[in-house]
Amino acid sequence: MAQRFESPEAKAGVSANGKTSRSAIFRRFIVAAGLATLLAMPAQAGIPAPYAPIVIQPVGAPARAEFDLTAVLVRARRENKWLYVYLGASDCPYCRKYEAFLEKNAIELVPHFSKYIVVDLRSSLSVTTDALFIRIADTSRPYVEFQKSIGDERTRTVVYPSVWLLDGKPKPLMQMPAGTGTFQTVAEQLEILRLEQ
Amino acid sequence: MRITILTRRRLFLAAIVAWLGLSAPGAIAQVGGLPTNVKHTDSSPEWELLREKLFPGRSIESAASMVQLVVPLRAAYGASVPVRIVSRLPQREGLYVKRITLLVDKNPSPVAAVLELTPELGQADFETRLRVDEYSHIRVISELSNGELHTDSRYVKVSGGCSAPPNRDQLHNIGKTLLKIPEGIKAHEPTAVDVQVVHPNDTGFEMNQISLLYIPAHFVRSIKVSYAGRPLFDAELDFSISENPAFRFNFVPGAGGELKAEVVDSKEGRYGTTLRIP
Repeated sequence: MAQRFESPEAKAGVSANGKTSRSAIFRRFIVAAGLATLLAMPAQAGIPAPYAPIVIQPVGAPARAEFDLTAVLVRARRENKWLYVYLGASDCPYCRKYEAFLEKNAIELVPHFSKYIVVDLRSSLSVTTDALFIRIADTSRPYVEFQKSIGDERTRTVVYPSVWLLDGKPKPLMQMPAGTGTFQTVAEQLEILRLEQ
Repeated sequence: MRITILTRRRLFLAAIVAWLGLSAPGAIAQVGGLPTNVKHTDSSPEWELLREKLFPGRSIESAASMVQLVVPLRAAYGASVPVRIVSRLPQREGLYVKRITLLVDKNPSPVAAVLELTPELGQADFETRLRVDEYSHIRVISELSNGELHTDSRYVKVSGGCSAPPNRDQLHNIGKTLLKIPEGIKAHEPTAVDVQVVHPNDTGFEMNQISLLYIPAHFVRSIKVSYAGRPLFDAELDFSISENPAFRFNFVPGAGGELKAEVVDSKEGRYGTTLRIP
């Protein structure tokens, strides 16, 4: 098999006359753009740390992804706070967008989250409507039944990302939209936090 | 061609600018650049055109004294935005709401419904659900029997309502019409009635994900409801009404009779039902 040998200079993208080759510059361009994009993304999937999220990982895989809200509801009642429950997926671009928005505007937004306990449910796109369960105390309900039980209209299919605003019972503080696309500006996120109908 | 250090710097700068350009919009404007700071009472270019076309040269009172529109700022789904029209005028002979026009400014077909009403309703309140395709005003224009026009509007932040797929698991029941009295009969008083038609109300904007062809429009075009042989309302409708079109309205039960709903869709499908009122 023929082998291709490259000099150290060629590997570094430097030609014999000491100039950097175009392909090397293109590679650096791609690397620089990639690095810049990575820097702009949250360090990892999920609600950024400044919001002090309580992360809840699912149990019951692979048959189901069950999220237990029992402890956060107890805490909400004890502290007389509301819950800002975020359902994100590790492989969902729209989730990364919302999380990046939260991260970018954390200084402005975090103080307005003070009456909420932020809860971060970590899921993945493979967890579809039938496989998603919410547990409260002894009762575990599939997504659609859970939604019906609390009077949430979003019963059709699970959408990533989703947000619930709940009191300690839990009952929705207001009907939320499917997805987060309608509150990815600071002004609109504040509308949501203020429960503006 | 030689690439100089200056060119390399420009390329790097271009990378940074490209990155900034890609990441910035989400933070300063809604997805797609939709306007976010619009007042409920604002006009829109679409409304100005519609107003001239539907009500040429007529003045429209917008003080919300005679009609009120109740719509959430955001709904669970753009394909099913709950809308309530509240009339401040009792529906009586002499002066009553004669016509209600329901508009969604930015929808591909903005005239969602035109309802011709009679005093037999007792109270000209209506509830229904609308498809809303993008951030838009929803407007109601209430025309009284003396010719006055009154309006109210709400700005809603939802999108995608006209291309969202309807539930298709009831196609074998298409046209099935239901009449219900949800809160019991109140003799000689306005009594709420629900009329609902099982129908996908296809908009023509939904793409079949397998064939990649658009599913043709097929929607409920009219619903006429009468009681004891006297008309309550005639509704001319469009695909801006959500799938399984539904209306809550009132009538005044008297000596008994039959509630009757007659439905026609855009393919001339004719459906209907009756409900005996004691």
